[in-house]
Amino acid sequence: MIEKTINFSRRIFVEKTATAVAGLSIAPGVFLNQVAQAKPADQAVTSDVRWGMLIDTNKCATGCTACVSACNEENGIQSHNRPATDQVWIRKVKLRDKQTGHVTSLPMMCQHCEHPPCVDVCPTGASMKREDGIVLVDKHICIGCRYCMMACPYKARSFAHETVTDPKEYAPRGKGTVEACTLCVHRVDEGGTPACVEACNAAEHGAMIFGDLKDPNSEISKELEKHGGKQIRADLNLNTGVRYQGI
Amino acid sequence: MLQLKQLMHKSLLMVIGSALLALSTAVYADGDKASFMPDIPEPKDESLKCVQPEDEMKKNHMEYILHQRDKTLREGVRTKQYSLKECINCHVEKNSTARFGDDKHFCSSCHNYAGVTIDCFQCHADRPSSNNKHSQSTSSFPHYADNSVEGASK
Repeated sequence: MIEKTINFSRRIFVEKTATAVAGLSIAPGVFLNQVAQAKPADQAVTSDVRWGMLIDTNKCATGCTACVSACNEENGIQSHNRPATDQVWIRKVKLRDKQTGHVTSLPMMCQHCEHPPCVDVCPTGASMKREDGIVLVDKHICIGCRYCMMACPYKARSFAHETVTDPKEYAPRGKGTVEACTLCVHRVDEGGTPACVEACNAAEHGAMIFGDLKDPNSEISKELEKHGGKQIRADLNLNTGVRYQGI
Repeated sequence: MLQLKQLMHKSLLMVIGSALLALSTAVYADGDKASFMPDIPEPKDESLKCVQPEDEMKKNHMEYILHQRDKTLREGVRTKQYSLKECINCHVEKNSTARFGDDKHFCSSCHNYAGVTIDCFQCHADRPSSNNKHSQSTSSFPHYADNSVEGASK
């Protein structure tokens, strides 16, 4: 009974905070801090939400790597100066239309599929999808076989070849396991947004929107409804959580 | 002849016995008793209670951490009560020079002594970061609370 009361008041607090923070907008539609529904720490995630991302490639600046640096900084990813085997959680891809010469720039990372091939092929169950749609690797049981890396059509996963010194406490990483974008799950669980989205907004490009695809009132859902968003390799029917505009 | 042999055997045993006794007392007299036991660093704030009684933690800390790890990774439950991160926050100083493997690190002080190899810190941070969001001082729901807020149903 006591616990219920506490949870209730905490929820109200969260709602009030969200409203207060949402009020701190710089311009209409641009918020200083986008607060999603932070769940209480002691409750499991549910399929009532599905986290996703919408990337407007027309706003994504060629040559800008703010999202990549932010991701590396946030998750403690260090280069060993060996591009072929260095871990890559997010990378910039440049596409050039031969006919028109139009150059499209976009960030590419784990697409957090609804039907992830990496989860299908994993022999140990380490590759898994959370109820809220975030695809993760359970490094406790990952044996480093790298089947998931082969199965992923987006080349989103990397293998940690080297010993990790001083990992971030919220992003444990270790040699001999496969890793990929976690959608900054440690931030999301606290009602935050992924580091790449934050960096993109800080760089004033605003090309990335993060939010709940199942909430019709979320910014991402409204934008998707209004202008649409494409999946990369939609033919694979993976129903990706990351969508792109302008491709 | 047989008697003489038995006598010699007896005296030899006595010599060896007393030599061993002398050796053992010498070791005891030399180092103090603590050198036989692991020197486990005290928590940062001794006024804080651990999440379970000390004896229980000594025996079963791995069970608590194991269950919490699956709940956190797979279900996103991020209570602090049995979180490895909170063990480290409480038992290891920020920017501590003692790393896992050193006898001065809380975890390895005992694990080295017991000869039990763990691989937690091949991935996890073995000390709190300097910009720790979850340090006990800033937390509104400290992990050591009397179970009334978090983890009550665990």
